Formats: sequence, C-alpha cells, structure tokens
Amino acid sequence: MGHGKYIAPPVGQYQVQAGEKLELEFVVLPGESRDIDVSIDLAGPGAEAHLNGLYLCRADEKVNFRIVMHHRAPGCKSTQLFNGIAGGSAQVSFDGTIVVAPDAQQTEAFQENHNIVLTETAKVTTRPQLEIYADDVKCSHGATVGQLSEDELFYMRSRGIPEAQARTLQMLSFLSPVIPAGREEEIERAVRSL
Amino acid sequence: MAEDIIKEFTSGEYKEGFVTDVEQEFVPKGLNEDIIRTISARKEEPAWLLEFRLDAFRKWQRMPQPDWAHLDMPEIDFQDIIYYAAPKKDKDRPKEIDPKLAETFDKLGIPLKERDVLAGVVAVDAVFDSVSVTTTFRKTLAEKGIIFCSFSEAVKEHPDLVRKYLASVVPSSDNFFAALNSAVFSDGSFCYIPKGVRCPMELSSYFRINARGIGQFERTLIVADEGSYVSYMEGCTAPMRDEQQLHAAVVEIVVEKDADVKYSTVQNWYPGDADGKGGILNLVTKRGICKGSGSHLSWTQVETGSAITWKYPSTILKGDYSASEFYSVAVTNNHQQADTGTKMVHIGKGTRSRIVSKGISAGVSQNSYRGLVRMGKGAVGARNYSQCDSLLIGSRCGAHTFPLIQSLEPSATVEHEATTSKISEDQLFYCNQRGIGPEDAVGLIVNGYAREVLSRLPMEFAVEAQKLLQVSLEGSVG
Repeated sequence: MGHGKYIAPPVGQYQVQAGEKLELEFVVLPGESRDIDVSIDLAGPGAEAHLNGLYLCRADEKVNFRIVMHHRAPGCKSTQLFNGIAGGSAQVSFDGTIVVAPDAQQTEAFQENHNIVLTETAKVTTRPQLEIYADDVKCSHGATVGQLSEDELFYMRSRGIPEAQARTLQMLSFLSPVIPAGREEEIERAVRSL
Repeated sequence: MAEDIIKEFTSGEYKEGFVTDVEQEFVPKGLNEDIIRTISARKEEPAWLLEFRLDAFRKWQRMPQPDWAHLDMPEIDFQDIIYYAAPKKDKDRPKEIDPKLAETFDKLGIPLKERDVLAGVVAVDAVFDSVSVTTTFRKTLAEKGIIFCSFSEAVKEHPDLVRKYLASVVPSSDNFFAALNSAVFSDGSFCYIPKGVRCPMELSSYFRINARGIGQFERTLIVADEGSYVSYMEGCTAPMRDEQQLHAAVVEIVVEKDADVKYSTVQNWYPGDADGKGGILNLVTKRGICKGSGSHLSWTQVETGSAITWKYPSTILKGDYSASEFYSVAVTNNHQQADTGTKMVHIGKGTRSRIVSKGISAGVSQNSYRGLVRMGKGAVGARNYSQCDSLLIGSRCGAHTFPLIQSLEPSATVEHEATTSKISEDQLFYCNQRGIGPEDAVGLIVNGYAREVLSRLPMEFAVEAQKLLQVSLEGSVG
C-alpha cells in the first residue's frame, strides 16, 4: 500500500511511510448511497497524501464522507479537494478532520470542500476541522455551499447556448479539478442526468 | 533570559489582580431550593421570578454537564460555591457608594461619578460580586426614554418589560450553564431603547469579582425597539487567587425591526498563573435575535483572560434582510484554554452574516474556534462568509477549528475558510534588524494580525484592547 490509484471509492485505513506518496480518488455517481470512511496516517517523515473526490446526487441518495488525515511525522504534506452537486432530496455530509501531532513540524495540510445545491429538498452539511498541536505548520481549509450562478447562465444563454447545455457546462467546470483522468465522458453523462 | 521574561510576566503583570477589603454579606455555601429562595427574598423579588428560578433549578438538576468542548474542564463542585455576596451597606448612609468600592472602580479606570461630558461619555452599570453598585447617567438617558439600570431595579420598576423579554432568547433550559444562571442569577444590566431613539452615549457594564469562594452569575437583557440604536460594552476583571472561580453569565439581546445593536466585550478575567493554578472559569451563554426585518446585531469580542473560556455569542436571523457580524480575537497563553466561536442561524429571507475570528495561542494553551452556520429552509438568498485564522506562538500550544455548516436552502451561499500559521522567522528578523526587540515585534505582528477585529471596537475599548494583547503575550517568545 502507499502507491497507486483507486477507482472505486476506497475506504478504510492507510499508513503512509517515510517518503511514500498516496493518491486516492473518490467518485460517487448518481443513484449511489455511500458511507465513505477513510483514515490516513502520515506515519513517516516526508510522507504525502493527495485526495480528490466528486459526488453527484439526483434522487434520495445519502452520501457521507468521514475523512481523518493524521499528520504524525514532520515534513508531511496532504491535500484534499472534494466537490459535489446535490439535487433531488439527497443528503450529503462531509466530515473532514486534519490532526497535526505535537512534533509534526513543517506540516503542510490543505482541505477544501465545495458544494452546489440544486433543489430545495437537498441537504448539505459540511464540517471541516483542524486540530493542530504543532506550531511550524501551514494549514488551511475551506468550505462553500452555494448554487449555480445566474450571471454565468445568462452570459452563456445570451450567446446562444441552450439552458440545459449551459447548466451542464457550469457543473462540469465546477467539477473539473476533481474529475479523474480517463473518466471524463462517464462524468459528463452523469452530470447531464442531474 | 527567556525564563526571566516569563517569570517577570507571570509574577505580576495582571494589574487588576488586587482584592478590595470591604465587609460583605454572604448566603451560606451550596445550592438548593432554600438558597434560591434566600437570594430571591434578599432581592425582594415578585413571586413569578422566584417560580422562574425554581423551575430553572429543577431543570438544571436533571441536566448533565456538557463535555463536547475541546476543553480539559476540572470537576466543578456546585455545592462548594457561594452564590450570593454583597458589600454591606452603611446603615446611616444607605444611598451613598462605599468609598472603598468607588476607589476600586476608580483604580480599574471605571468612573462611577458622572464627570464632565468631555471626559468620555460612557454610562456605566458597575457590578461588584452579586450586586450592582451604581448606574451612571440614568437621568440623562431617561430624558430620551432610555431605560438603563441594574437588573434588580428593572424587576422592581419595569416588571412588565422584564417579564416579556426574560428568557425569550435564551430559555432557562437552553443548556446546563444557562439553566444554572437562570436559577441563581444575581445582578446584571437591563437596557431598553424605545422606538426610533438613537442612544446618545455608549452604555457599558463592568463586572468585578472580589470575594473568595463565590461564583458570579450575572444576567444582561438588552431590548432595542424599532429603529433604535445602541452600542454596548462589557468589561470584567477579578483578583488573583490560587483556586478557580466560576462565572456563568447569560446575555440576551432582542433587536426589533430596523434596530441596530453593537455589543463589544473586552474579557480580562484573571487567567491563572504560569502553572495553570487559579483563574476564572468563564462559561457564558450570549445570544441575540434579529426579530424584525432590517435589524442588525454586531458582536465584537476580545478574549484575553480566564483559565477556561466557553462562549459562543450567537445570532438568530429571523427578520427578513437582517444582518449580523461576529468579530473575535481570542488570546490564550500559559495553561489557558478557550473554546469560543459563534452560531449564525439564518431563518429570514436575504439574511446576511459575517464571521471573522482570530485565535492566538502561546505557551501550552489550547485555543479552539467552534462555529455553526445554518441556512434554514426559506432563508432565500441568505449569505454567510466566515474567516477563522489561528496564529501559533511556540511549539507546545494547540489551535483548532471546528466549523459546522448546514444548508437546507438551495439559494443560500455559505463560504468558510480557515488558516493556521505561526509568526515567521522572517517577520521577526525584519523587525529585529530594524531595532525592534522580540517582545515588541511579536506585539506589533499580533496587533496587525488582529487589526481587522480591533478596528471594530468602540474607541474607548480599542486602546485598552491593544495594550491587553501585548500584556497577554508577554514572555511568550524568547
């Protein structure tokens, strides 16, 4: 373990040793209800973990992310980016914790979670958390919950792009940083179905 | 060298740590229905208020003490606390303020005499242990129809208003410490601004703990009627002692249509010594409701004191297009612990909120931001922006961020961002190189970091707050 990419939502515990690099990709397509529990230990100096996730919901799916990123050694890096769209009466929750242990100096840890809510019945809860016990660190997290921009939509429609196509474009651009290589068409089909 | 600085800092920098030697009356130690009846009787309260207290006490007895905060809370023996202490009145001159008390507040920089208008126009309600000593400028304010007095006086003189608004924002069963406060609260301030009135001066409450072994349980109620404006400030200090003392307050603010309330706190309770001995346990419930449309409530807090701070000034944005802000600087040093933040509950259409929180931890302290932003169904077009930064000074302290964002409304927008960093060697070097010593450099950098919040404080407070930041962090580098 430690190297490689995973196509299906990878869950469970990961130990990343000194100098190793872990990359995980999470894709939750419409119709899938998932509980995704991931705990990552950056156990050796210089270990790295990079997580990308996207989720699309259109009906009554329940998608729960619980991610714990534990920086136990100095000089480790982690990045996390999770973007998702919730429609229908879906319930999405994102719980992401970054813990930096007392001696894990020179840590760099970043986490972002962005959500777009399409309907009045969808519910999004996001809870990014930082627990930091070392001082020489660069850590940040960000979270947003919002909707598709009317201005962007207007811009495209006034240039002759049909509304449905414009919405798809908006959603694809929102998701583009987290779409895994080679799965573009599959994701585009899923976005059209929303 | 560094050790010398730290020693110097901890040996006496808390300049408000003195004790006033006055004769005081106490109720017996402990908490039961008889004690509550005694407190109520001593304050000559009407029957409904005693009922309110007893009801809260019964609810409190069935509640567990909350333990979800990121705090290492010592066990509190609620039977080992004196719930009421008041300085004895001189029988021959019952109307006059004891000169010793006047001297105490003077030493703290709180004027109890209505001086020249030029000396700074701030009306003060000064609370000493369990009673209000005096409220200044009452007459001047009354001319405009503003009621500003101690809570006990309000109960006697304006029972209808108190009864209408008491516990309307923080119900007695809201949480463990709010229930305790509802049962045993002693004094505090009451303020009512009538329709369309702009309060001509800053109003303020100053809380002083003096007696050994007591807890302070004050209650503040602010009602701003339609279209009114008030700026309210709160300050507090306590003597240095080896044992910890409990302070559990409740603040309720009602903001009606188009009214504007600004609430500022500079919290400077005794933080305990360098080994974490003593200090105040500051467990406070503060909440406001933007009831009418277009109403506005702004919280600004500078938290430098207390051994433990557990405090989440919150706003319920019920009125359409109402707005609220929360600006906070929380400093912890030595063994201090702070778990503080805010809750913004959006209910009305087009409601807006903004959160700016700056945490600074030094020594072996733990500093947490905990927040909730909730977009309820129907909060159409509501907007929130939160920014929570943490600054770490030293490798043994902790800084934590626990925001919770809930959205049930598709047209609402929530943004949250947080960063954690330390004062960089480069910044320090830059200052040192230009002849600024390490202590001053840290002060400078911290003040710059906290500037966005400090600039929101009323002028009277801003100067004090900047000095406090400097003192609180003294000895944290070296």
